[in-house]
Amino acid sequence: MFRVGGTVTVMDPTQATREVFWNIEYTWLVYVLMVPTLAVFGWGFWLKVRRWRSGQPALRFDRPGERLQLFLRNAVGQGRTIKRRYAGVFHSLVYTGFIVLFLATTVVAIHHDTPLHIMKGHFYLIFQSLIVDIFGLFVLVGVALAAIRRWISKPKLLVYTDEASWILITIFVMALTGFMIEGWRIAVTDDPWAAWSPIGNLFALGSDPWMTDTAMQRGHVIIWWFHLVVAFGWIAWVPFSKMSHVFTAPLNIFTANLDGYGGSLKTIDFETAERFGINHLGDFTWKDLLDFDACTECGRCTDVCPANTVGKSLSPRDIILDLQGLMHKRGDELLGSRAGNGNGDGGNGSDELLPIIDQKTAVSPEALFACTTCAACMEACPVHIEQMPKIVDARRYLVMEEADFPEGMMDMMNSLESRQHPFAGTQFSRVDWTEGLDIDVMAEMDDPHEAEVLMWVGCGGALVERNRNTVRATAKLLKKAGVKFAILGREESCTGDPARRVGNEFLFEMLAKGNVETMQRYGVRKVVTSCPHCFNSFRNEYPHFGGSYEVYHHTQFLDELLEQGRLDGNGAGGRSNGSSTITFHDPCYLGRHNGEYDAPRNLLAQVGGARQVEMERSRNTSFCCGGGGGMAFVDEPPDQRVNQERAQEAVDTGADVVAVGCPFCATMLDDGVNARRGERDVQVRDVAELLWDAVGESEEAAP
Amino acid sequence: MRVLVCLKQILDPDVPARDFQIDPEARAAKRGGANLVTNIFCENAVETALQFREAAGGDVKITALCYGESSAEDCLRKAMAMTVDEACLVERDGNTNPDAAAVGRVLAAAIRRLEQDGGPFDAVLVGRESGDWGVGQTGGVLAEELGRPALGFVESLQPGNGSVTLRRQTDVGIEVAEAEPPFLVTITNNEDNVPRIPKTRDVMMSYRKPLQKLGLADLELDSEEVRAGSSIFEVEEIFIPADEVECELAEGDTLDERVDQLAKRIHEVVASIG
Repeated sequence: MFRVGGTVTVMDPTQATREVFWNIEYTWLVYVLMVPTLAVFGWGFWLKVRRWRSGQPALRFDRPGERLQLFLRNAVGQGRTIKRRYAGVFHSLVYTGFIVLFLATTVVAIHHDTPLHIMKGHFYLIFQSLIVDIFGLFVLVGVALAAIRRWISKPKLLVYTDEASWILITIFVMALTGFMIEGWRIAVTDDPWAAWSPIGNLFALGSDPWMTDTAMQRGHVIIWWFHLVVAFGWIAWVPFSKMSHVFTAPLNIFTANLDGYGGSLKTIDFETAERFGINHLGDFTWKDLLDFDACTECGRCTDVCPANTVGKSLSPRDIILDLQGLMHKRGDELLGSRAGNGNGDGGNGSDELLPIIDQKTAVSPEALFACTTCAACMEACPVHIEQMPKIVDARRYLVMEEADFPEGMMDMMNSLESRQHPFAGTQFSRVDWTEGLDIDVMAEMDDPHEAEVLMWVGCGGALVERNRNTVRATAKLLKKAGVKFAILGREESCTGDPARRVGNEFLFEMLAKGNVETMQRYGVRKVVTSCPHCFNSFRNEYPHFGGSYEVYHHTQFLDELLEQGRLDGNGAGGRSNGSSTITFHDPCYLGRHNGEYDAPRNLLAQVGGARQVEMERSRNTSFCCGGGGGMAFVDEPPDQRVNQERAQEAVDTGADVVAVGCPFCATMLDDGVNARRGERDVQVRDVAELLWDAVGESEEAAP
Repeated sequence: MRVLVCLKQILDPDVPARDFQIDPEARAAKRGGANLVTNIFCENAVETALQFREAAGGDVKITALCYGESSAEDCLRKAMAMTVDEACLVERDGNTNPDAAAVGRVLAAAIRRLEQDGGPFDAVLVGRESGDWGVGQTGGVLAEELGRPALGFVESLQPGNGSVTLRRQTDVGIEVAEAEPPFLVTITNNEDNVPRIPKTRDVMMSYRKPLQKLGLADLELDSEEVRAGSSIFEVEEIFIPADEVECELAEGDTLDERVDQLAKRIHEVVASIG
C-alpha cells in the first residue's frame, strides 16, 4: 500500500521518468482510433477551407511582417481577449493550459514513438510533471469560471447554446479525468516523484484511504480509455463547433485588415460588377467568409454597439452568426457558383442566389440602417472580425439595387445629388461664414499655389449654423499662426462620406472624382479640415481615386502649430473661459478610424483653469454620438437616441464643457446635452472654439 | 400606349436666401451660386406616369420632353434613370425666360414632330406649375395648341377599359374622371407620387437610353417669332421685397400692465390696418 511520505530508497532525479501506457493493454487501439479522429478533423476543416475558397478574392497575405506582429500581439498574446477582465482571466487560463497540455502530449509521443527518449530527468520533473500539473489546474479553474458566468451570472452578451455548455463540460471532464488517471497511477505505482505532480498527487492522496490498489488499477483502465475517447471525440468535433476558433481565430487575426477601420470599405468597379453591394453569400470575399467561421460568440461587438445599446434591433454578433449559420446550412450547395460583384475578377454568375438580407433574421434592413459605422464592434472583437464593412456591403445592395432606405437618408441623398451637400434647406452658402474674416478663395487668387494649405471647410462646418463658429475659430487660429491657407468656397462639394456610409457608392464615387479634379486644378497638396468624416475620406479613400494629400484634422494641425510656438500660450496655459471641467468626446472617424487621440487633448490643456476629465468610454472605446453612417439625417425614435445615451455619459462626468472635434458630434451632442443636462449649464464646444477662447485675440475671444 | 411627360429645369427653390440674386436688366433671377434642378411638379408627373405604366402592366412607353438649355439634359437623364424610356431636348438658344405661350408653342411643335416619328401620345402630362415663376399656364396653353381636352390638378392616372381614370384634386375634395385618349393633364403632388430614387443600375443605364436633341429650326420655328409670340404678360420690374421688422416691447411694471398694454397695441394696429 502506498503511503504518503513513505521511505524511498533511490532518488536520482536524472533518472526520473514514468512508464507510458502504464496499466494499458491493446495500446495499438489508440493508433487505430486516431485514424478516424484525424480524418473527421481534417474533413471538417477541409469543408471550411473549401467554402472560404469559393469567396471572392482579397489581398490578405501581403505585408507578412506586420501580419506576424499583429498575430503575436492579438492571437498568441491574446491582446484583445484580455481587455475584458473576467473573460480575459478565464480564457487565458484555458488557453495557456491547452497549449501546455498539448506540448505535454507531444513530448509523450516523441518519447514513446521515436528513438528520442526525452521524457526523463529534470525535464520530466519540472516540465512534464510540475508545470503540466499546474496548467492542467488552470484549465479546470478557467472552465469553472466560464461555467459560473454561463450558468449563474448569465450576462446579456452571451449566446446561450447547448453547444457552448457541452464544450465546457467536455473540457472539464478531460482535465479532471487526466488528473484522476495520473493520481491513480501515482498511488498504485508508489511513484517516487509524486511530489512533482501536486494535483495528481492530491487525487492519489484523496483516493488512497478508501480505495484498494486493485480498485484504483481497474478504475485507471476504465477512466484512461474514457479520457481517450472523450479527447478523440472532442478533437473530431472541433471543426464543427465554435471550438474551431482555436484555428480560425489566429488565421483571421493574421489576415486582418491592416489599414485601419477608416479604409475598410471596398471600392466597386461599376463597369464590370454584376450586382452592386452584397445580398448573396457568394459575393463576399474569402476573408468575409472566414470571419463568419472565426466568431466565438463572445458578444462584445453587440455589447459595445451604440444602436444596440439604445434598444435598436442591430446586433453585429447576430449578423455574423446568422450569416455563419446560413453558410453552414446552405453554403456548400450554393457557394460553388462564383459571381461577380466587382470586388473580384467577375465570374460566371449563378442562377440561384443565396440572399442574406432577410426581415426575419438579424440581417434585416431595419437593423442594417441603424448602424452608425462607428467601428466599436470591430475594435472590441478579440479575433478581428470586420462587421461594419459587411453591414455597408448589404446597405449598398439595398440602396443601389433596391433603392430601399429610410426617408431621412433619401432626402440627404437627393440633396447631395442636386446640391452637392447633404443639408437640404440650409439658409447658408458655403462662404457666408467667412464674412469679415478676409479669407482667400482659390478661384479668386492670382496664384492659388501661394496657399500652402487648403482649408477644407466641409458642409457640416459651412452650412449648419451651430458649426460656423467652429470653422471661424479654426480660420482665425490659422491666420494668427501665419499659415498661408485658402478655401475652395463654392467649388467645394461634399466629400461623399455620408453617401458612402449609407451605401450609395456610386454617388460617393462621383463626388470624390469631382473633388479630386477640383483639387488637382489648384495643385492642392496639404489639406486641413475640422470634419473627421472629410478627414477620413481624404486620408483613406481618395487615394483610390487619384487624390493623395497630406491630410490633417484641424486639431492635429493646430497641435503642430502650438508645438512650433506659432500660437501663444505654448505650455503656459491660455486664458480661462470660465469653465472648470472639460470632457472630450472622441469622434469615431478621428479616433478609432484613424488613431488620433492626443492632439485634441493637448489643445484642451491650453484652456486656462480647466481640468480634463474622461468619460468611461473614451479614446478607442469611445461611444458614438449617433451621427455617423448617415444616421445624422434620420429621425430616431425618442426612446432610442444614441446621442442622448452619450450626452448622459458626458453630463455625468460633471464637466461643464463637452469638447468635440466634429460638426456632426457637435449637433448630435448639442441636442443630447440639452435634453439631459437638467438645470446645469453644460456647453458643447469644438476644440477650436475653446482654443480660440484661450489663445486668440481677446476682443474676439467671446464670440 | 404612349405617354409624354414635359419637364422644366429651374433654379433650386431651396437656394439659401443670400445666394438668391436678381438681374434687374434681364428682369430675371441670376444663376449665381444656385443649382439647377427639375421642377418638383414635373418630377411628380414623371412618377405618376411610371406608376401608370406599372399599373397598366408594362405596355406603356414613356417619353420625357424638355424645352431648355443644354444643362437640362441632366433633368432628362434623371427622368430616364427613374426608368422613363426615352427623352427629347429642344434646345433653347438665347431665348431666356420665355413665357407659357412661347413654351406651349415650342412643346406642341416638338410633340407633333415626335408623334410623326413614333405615333400619337395618348396622354401628355405637365407639372401643375413651376417652382420659379409659378404661373401655371403651360399645361393649358399646350392643350390649346394641341387641340386636346385637358384636366388640371390631377394626382393619379389609372388604366381602365380603353380609357383612363383620373383623380383630380379640387377645393372640395377629389374628383374622379374617365378620359378617352388623347388628352392632357397637369399633375399636382400627393403623398403617393413622391418621385422615386433611381436604382444605381438604372442611373447607369440612363446614359445608354436615346436622348434626341432638336433645335427650333428642326421644328420649323423661328426664335424671334417664338419670342414675339410671348404675349401673355410682360415683366416690368423684378425685385426682392425688403423684409422690415419693427419691434416694439410692451411696457409696464407688472405682468398685468404689460398684457393690457399689449392688447391695446394689438387693437390699435389692427384698427390702423382697417
